[in-house]
Amino acid sequence: MSRTPPGMLQGTVDLLVLRALAWNAMHGYEISRWLEARSDGVLMVDGAALYPALHRLERRAWVASWWGISENNRRAKFYRLTRTGTAHLRASTTAWHDYAHAVAQVLAPR
Amino acid sequence: MKGPLSFRFPWRSRGRIAAEIDAELAFHLAMRAAELERQGIAHDAAIAQARAEFGDIESTRTYCRTQDEAGERMMRWNDRLESVWYDFRHAVRSLCRTPAFSGTAILTVTLVLGANTAVFSAARAVLLRPLPYGHPDELVAVQCKSVAGYFVGTEALSPPDYQDYRAQQHAFTDIAAYSNATETWLPGQGDTERVRAALVTGNMFNLLEATPRAGRILLPSDAGPDAPDVAVISSRFFERALGGDAARLGETLTINGRATRIVGVMRPGFTLGFQADIWFPLDLSGDLADPGRTRKQHWLNGIGRLRPGTTVETADRDLALIGAHLAAAYPDADSTRVATPMPLRTWMIGSFGSGLTLLQGAALLVLLIACANLANLTLSRALDRRRDMAVRAALGSGRGRLIRQLFTESMLIALVGGALAIALAYAATHWLLRLDANAVPGPYPVAVDGIVLAFCAVLASGTGVLSGLAPAFAVSRLDLQQALREGGRGSSGGRVVERARRALVIGQIALAVTLLIGTGLLVRSFRALDGVKLGFTPDHVLTAATNLTGARYDTLARVNLFYDQVLGELARTPGVVAVGAADELPTQGSTGASMRIEGQVNDEANLPNMAYIAVRGDYFRALGVPLLAGRLFTAGDDSTAPDVAVINETALHRFFPSGAIGRRIHIGPTATGPAITIVGVVGDVHAEGASYPVLPTLFPNHRQVAGGASLSIAVRTRGDPIALTPALRRAARGADPTVAVHDVATLEAVVGESLASRRFALALVTGFAGLALMLATIGVYGVLAYLVAGRRREFGVRLALGATQGSVVGLVLRQGLMWAGIGLALGLAAAVAGRTLVAASLYGVTPGDPITWIGVPAILLAVVTAACLIPALRATRVDPVAAMRAD
Repeated sequence: MSRTPPGMLQGTVDLLVLRALAWNAMHGYEISRWLEARSDGVLMVDGAALYPALHRLERRAWVASWWGISENNRRAKFYRLTRTGTAHLRASTTAWHDYAHAVAQVLAPR
Repeated sequence: MKGPLSFRFPWRSRGRIAAEIDAELAFHLAMRAAELERQGIAHDAAIAQARAEFGDIESTRTYCRTQDEAGERMMRWNDRLESVWYDFRHAVRSLCRTPAFSGTAILTVTLVLGANTAVFSAARAVLLRPLPYGHPDELVAVQCKSVAGYFVGTEALSPPDYQDYRAQQHAFTDIAAYSNATETWLPGQGDTERVRAALVTGNMFNLLEATPRAGRILLPSDAGPDAPDVAVISSRFFERALGGDAARLGETLTINGRATRIVGVMRPGFTLGFQADIWFPLDLSGDLADPGRTRKQHWLNGIGRLRPGTTVETADRDLALIGAHLAAAYPDADSTRVATPMPLRTWMIGSFGSGLTLLQGAALLVLLIACANLANLTLSRALDRRRDMAVRAALGSGRGRLIRQLFTESMLIALVGGALAIALAYAATHWLLRLDANAVPGPYPVAVDGIVLAFCAVLASGTGVLSGLAPAFAVSRLDLQQALREGGRGSSGGRVVERARRALVIGQIALAVTLLIGTGLLVRSFRALDGVKLGFTPDHVLTAATNLTGARYDTLARVNLFYDQVLGELARTPGVVAVGAADELPTQGSTGASMRIEGQVNDEANLPNMAYIAVRGDYFRALGVPLLAGRLFTAGDDSTAPDVAVINETALHRFFPSGAIGRRIHIGPTATGPAITIVGVVGDVHAEGASYPVLPTLFPNHRQVAGGASLSIAVRTRGDPIALTPALRRAARGADPTVAVHDVATLEAVVGESLASRRFALALVTGFAGLALMLATIGVYGVLAYLVAGRRREFGVRLALGATQGSVVGLVLRQGLMWAGIGLALGLAAAVAGRTLVAASLYGVTPGDPITWIGVPAILLAVVTAACLIPALRATRVDPVAAMRAD
């Protein structure tokens, strides 16, 4: 039983994660909380979608990670956006908006 | 939280990666479970729910692991590349800082690798490729070998013998034959040019399974007595004569004054083992119609194709059987010879192949010596930078890194040297082939191709590794802390380094000695070969052809007048050693004459045949042909005296086993011609090398018989023979301005190819030996100089304590000579062991030749002593006080 909206492409999850990290450097759990809050509870990205996305992004060097201490004094892996990641985020956001706009146009009645 | 600086952890192992992922996922689950608990759910239920919400943990874990491992691999790879690039930049910079060292090192590598590559490209062309014919393993050369040791080596077949062998054999599918000749070609515009021709029997091309590039091959029908004059030409000649234009195939060219139609063009590189421009069909019908005469004329080289499954030994037995029959039927012509097959490659390449192998071995030895030199040099460099490296080590550079840096420098030198070496080898082979296209036998041209390039690359890498090992080894054993504490150069780096150096220098000297002895033997052998094999010395001889025609020269007296004047004037010209003239020069052929020997029964049906070349003046001395017995012609042998002649050694053994001086013979078709007295015996002239047997030759005195009036003049000069051309022309003009003097050329040019390659090989081998000696000397000098510099303090102390300068010199000398002595001993031992390797290529020199075995050590000791003296003397100039105070 997954909470990630069905049919959400992995590219979209990547985009969301990048946007979250643009806000602030966070660890994985924080990201999922942030996305949930930001989308008013609609986007609930579960671990099985989130962590693959994070590791994928790290491999592409769009995010960088390090081990730090979380707010409740536990060891956690934090992520931040890299410079190339920021550039990619910008480009992808524009592409996403164009895409969404196009889909909306197609689906509009009339 | 911004996050710390990107600080690379040491590489993560797979286990580490897995553990981190597990920790990360566990954290997430724990956080979610904690939140659920805060919302009131029980502990265990919270955990379970968190798990369920997560999704497929296992596949997530696997996926993340894969991603991380791939990322890790790439990072490691990038890091490695980066460090290699860094090392490279660093090496370039440090090499540029010491241009003397770098320049010398690169130059050494270039020379040595260039030599190796050039020799290898020749070896590849000659030894390492299959012959360019169909099923080349089935092809053999058919030559005559001697029965009962009558003659040495092989001789060609005569036409009737060839016909008989061909008809009666069982072991071959067919036998074809060829001969070569130099023809003249008159192009549409311009002067007559020389072309090399091959005369082949009609079945030759079919036998070889050769296909043409254009047109057709020669067929048996082209070799018939009434067939029109046709020929097939080589690709290269096609470009030259017909402009490479396929539409012009079928045109006629004027060869030897006859119109010959060109019916085909062969593929580039197709040859029978020698460069030929044009192939003619050989019509043997005339020779075969008169077997009585022609059975004794041996000039056909046979090529046969073995039947599938037949071995060379079987074919040999088959031919031997036929040979026995022929010997019985025609004792005068065939009792001393029998046809024998040998693999075609062996025949084509001859002794060149083994010479080439030796040459390659020599080149590799020189390479090893050069590596030792480079290793020593690099070692010194490494030690000089000890402090440098100690600091770097202290800053965290691992030992491996330092070694890698030194290694990179050596590799860089080796690779740059290798690249330059390829250029050098390319230039060298081109220059060689321009000198003489036939210098390297065999059908393939010498070229620097892919495999040769690969060979050079491998050698270059090997050189880099070998010469980089020593310093790497030394550095890894250094006590770097010690280096930091100690000032300046200090000692020479510890016992291990000392030992390494010593071993290198001794090794170098040993290799050089081995190489020098081998080379010394070969050089002496080549010199013997050069002189004896030819029978005359072709250098420093100018030749010219004269044409005496017409009514003016219809009497012996007039002819004698002309030549006496010309030769006399030339003999008086400064710079001339000897001058003479003859019907034909070596390689220009000869006429034949049958003779009757007085005082013995002559078989009229089977008269001995001799080549006939009339000579006058100091001809033999001009050519450098030795007089073996009796005398040469003198002024007293004029038209009033009895006719005299000289014969060659072959004629002596063949027809006058009991002695020839004083014997009288009659030449000509009838028994009533004038008698000629034999007064002398001269050495044989092997102008064409082993492939042409020496004909028994009669040299009558031209002054007395003057058969043909037009002679070729030969002048031996002290200096450059071409320089005497004006004098020669002047002399001829002075005697008679209407006489044409043409084809002025050096005898070397006339006689041609085989000399160039022999000389080249000799030059190469001598060059290698010289290079080896030079490298070894430089090696010794370099190491000693460095050591002396390192022991300055010690010498200063000694001198201050009262040692004489002589004793210090003695110290240094002793050390150097001790190394030389050990190296010499090792080298001699190796040379003794390897003696047999060289023995096969020696001629006229025994493997134990004392001059070489004594001369080489003597030269080496002399040279090494000189190399030791310089640093030794420098050691004595050390100012004791300054030395002790320094650093």
